[in-house]
Amino acid sequence: MAKKSDYKNRVELVQGTLDMLILKTLQWGPQHGYGIVQALHTQSGEVLQVETGSLYPALHRLERQGWVRSEWKKTESNQRARFYQTTAAGKKQLVADHDRWQQMVEAISSIMQTNSGEER
Amino acid sequence: MKLWRTRADDIDEEMATHLAMAIQDRIARGESPEQARQAAMREFGNPLLVRETTRGMWGGEWMERIAQDIRYAWRQMMRSPGFSATVIFTLALGLGATLAMFTVVERVMLQALPFHEERRLVTVTESGRKGDQPYIPWADIQEWRQRSKSFAEIGFTTSAMGRSFIEGDNGAQQVMHLTVSSNLFHLLGVEAARGRGFDGISSEESAGNANEQTAVLSDAVWRDLFGARADIVGRVVKISGNSYTVMGVMPRGFTFPVQDHAMAVWTPIVLKDVDRTRENAAQRYSVIARLRKGASVQDAGAEMKVVQAGVAKLYTDAYTRDLVTTASVQRYRDSLVRPNVRRVLLSLFAAASLLWVIACVNVTGLLLSRASVRQREIAVRGALGASRRRIVQQLLLEGILLSAGGSVLGLLLAVGLLKLFSHGLLLQLNISNVMPDFRSVAALMGMTAVSAISAALWPALASARAPIEPALRQSAGQAGPSRTQHKVRSLLVVTQIAMSLVLLVSCGLLLRTIYALRQVPLGFRTDNIIVGRMAVPSYRFADQDMNQRLYTPLLARVRSLPGVESATLMSEVPLGHNFNMVFSFSADGNSADAVKRRDLRAQFRTVGPDAQKVFGFRMWKGRYFNEHDTAGSPAVVVVNRAFVHEYSASNDPNKVIGQRIMNFEKDRPATVIGVLDDTRQVGVADQSAPEVEVYLPQLTPQNGLYKSAEGIAMSIAIRTGRSFSSLIPELRPLMTAASPELAETKFTTMTEIVEDSYGSQQLVARLLILFGGSALLLCLSGLYGLLSQLVTQRTREIGVRVALGARRGQVVGLVLRQAGRMLLFGSLTGLVLAWFAARLVSSFLYGVTAHDGLTMAATALLLVLSGVAAAWVPAARAAGIDPVEALRAE
Repeated sequence: MAKKSDYKNRVELVQGTLDMLILKTLQWGPQHGYGIVQALHTQSGEVLQVETGSLYPALHRLERQGWVRSEWKKTESNQRARFYQTTAAGKKQLVADHDRWQQMVEAISSIMQTNSGEER
Repeated sequence: MKLWRTRADDIDEEMATHLAMAIQDRIARGESPEQARQAAMREFGNPLLVRETTRGMWGGEWMERIAQDIRYAWRQMMRSPGFSATVIFTLALGLGATLAMFTVVERVMLQALPFHEERRLVTVTESGRKGDQPYIPWADIQEWRQRSKSFAEIGFTTSAMGRSFIEGDNGAQQVMHLTVSSNLFHLLGVEAARGRGFDGISSEESAGNANEQTAVLSDAVWRDLFGARADIVGRVVKISGNSYTVMGVMPRGFTFPVQDHAMAVWTPIVLKDVDRTRENAAQRYSVIARLRKGASVQDAGAEMKVVQAGVAKLYTDAYTRDLVTTASVQRYRDSLVRPNVRRVLLSLFAAASLLWVIACVNVTGLLLSRASVRQREIAVRGALGASRRRIVQQLLLEGILLSAGGSVLGLLLAVGLLKLFSHGLLLQLNISNVMPDFRSVAALMGMTAVSAISAALWPALASARAPIEPALRQSAGQAGPSRTQHKVRSLLVVTQIAMSLVLLVSCGLLLRTIYALRQVPLGFRTDNIIVGRMAVPSYRFADQDMNQRLYTPLLARVRSLPGVESATLMSEVPLGHNFNMVFSFSADGNSADAVKRRDLRAQFRTVGPDAQKVFGFRMWKGRYFNEHDTAGSPAVVVVNRAFVHEYSASNDPNKVIGQRIMNFEKDRPATVIGVLDDTRQVGVADQSAPEVEVYLPQLTPQNGLYKSAEGIAMSIAIRTGRSFSSLIPELRPLMTAASPELAETKFTTMTEIVEDSYGSQQLVARLLILFGGSALLLCLSGLYGLLSQLVTQRTREIGVRVALGARRGQVVGLVLRQAGRMLLFGSLTGLVLAWFAARLVSSFLYGVTAHDGLTMAATALLLVLSGVAAAWVPAARAAGIDPVEALRAE
């Protein structure tokens, strides 16, 4: 699997967040795979580098689940590329994912704060 | 498939676009094109893997993989045709044998009868002191109808007396003629295709009226004899000279009794007054009944036991009452398969299945050896990223492909086997034209899958589990199976030896049986005798003496043929299974003596002049018939030794000779004038049965025996030095001239009749020879294969041994010891198994016990010797190894 390959200095994505991030990125309009990678890279302050080995399977999985749909279109530089855009179901999913994520972050951070307090 | 191609292409293009964009971006940022490309590719990772995983998201890729694996497996098979052919042939042997036996078993035992809800059809028989009495008087059936509640309907049938001939549009032809209760077709749930059958006719209740008889024809009779004419219903046809109005034609394919002749007519039973009684003279019938909905065979059986206890009380004669004290119910379908046939079939099926298991074990061994040769290939596939599951799947598919090849060849073998044994099958099981049908083919496909998986799974798992690295590091020549694999393969060979020995011992026992049977003195000569079986058209000679009109002139003409030494007539030749008449005494009273008399059942035979000349029967006491015995002279009969034994308490022939044991007609008692030495009349393996013979020239139409003794079946037996094929063309015109119906006389030779009467033993023995021989071949090839591989693999070691001074003999011993160990273990296990399996064949044995030590020892010895012979080849090769070559080769 691609995650075994030797890229150094990388921040690994938290398990299960890739779908949410893709859906979020597509909120601003249709985008192709490379575009999604670039968007995530810049918007994360150049911290996140999504691997193609994870991205494309994820995109196709989302498409199969009906959360995104895709079509072949020309880019601004007149190149044929596959553009993905969210569907209504995808938007709902994003809201649900986002909620769950927030709960998770709050829960984790509250635990981390208590623990760090005791250790000191 | 097509859909998948486009999706794969789609993903490929998507990946390519991605890369192109990444490169452009990097160039735009100022990298050189070459740098940009390399960096982008590094960043991208393994495009193949990305593509595979992405495609995997859509599911269904397994179909594509299987297609790939099948193509790969096919190429592998083509690359080593020798190996593939061996595997396919081995499996074909096992599958073919099993399929053939399955087809027969299915045909005989599993076929649903073509009747409405046939599982509700049963037969009812009475039984008592002397066992089953399958034929029931009408009076009892009427009682059953009134007293029992388990049956919706009870019907009954009996064959019409004598041979029946129906006059069609172009001459007469013999037909199967069954008289039936008028509810029979309704009971079977089969309606006439034309006309209305016997609906509404209740002739069985009314006294017989010969002028108003009705008949239903089978489809074949209607088509063949009446040209399928539309106005058949209502026409009057002549059956054996009597007129019948046709009431209907049954649908095509309908036969009753099941598996009987397609040329058939059914007429309603006409009851005579005596048939309404329980006297001995009353006609007896086979009973077929339909269970009421929801009634089980067991319930019906229990009820009938109670009912019959009451019915038996109605018998006034104590002797007869004792014979019918109880009744039993059996599913009609089961009643069609005789218990000995069931045993024959199940034993043969077991033997064939064993051969199949041996074949599978053999193939497992072959695939294991193949896997060790292919270790590197599989390791390379593993190193390139093939998962274990994929490797197992691929190897299994190879197994299935080979197995499929085996099953196609096996199907051909099965068809061949069935063709080869069609005569024996017809004779023993009364089935003809057995061919695998869709059910057999379904079973074959099941067996194919099982063989593939059982033979290939283990080697596949072993290959997939093997560590990749050592296999890659080794050079091709060194690659060989591990120690455990060798143990496993030796175990497989031992298993094969053991199982083969089971088959071989059974085969040996049957061969000894056949040998013993051939040694049995038959009591008559069988050489140079031609036998013609005639269906006697007695209706043509209704008012004439058949002896004068038909038999005497026919015999005279046959005798005058060149090369005919002597000729005679017999109602049935010894060992013929065409026609059987039984003679019983009608003594009165219930004294011990009378019961003994009445218990005696003797074979009854009519013989013509010169019977002794043709068959060479030997007399024990007294004289045989001669030319002085005529219609006018005192009536005489000849009995045999077994008869004397049963008849006379003191077993004294002199007390039997001179006895008047029967009446030819009123005031014409027949005296015993001679006692024949025992002969085998029924079967070679059956002890001589009591027999009474009467002389054809003494019988006249006034005689009470006349009709059955000479009017049903008659065989002509001819002693001649000429060959069968040269005489038959001269005989046929004589037969046809005597009466046109005799044109269909079936000719055979006495040798053939004897051969056929070896019975099921012959069939079982021949099939077991085939199965046992195949098993031996397979286990020897397994042994040979393993040892050859061993020698190849140990070439270097043996080279070193020879270089260090080992003698040739020691090297040979090295290999033979290995073979000897396997043979010893295999044989010992096999003997133990054979000891238990012998029970399966014990019922077919004659003149040898199931646990015959000599047979077992001899068979084991044969196996060991052939095993050593098979091992000798690799052993000799090992001994021939040149140490210099062997060491240099590495």
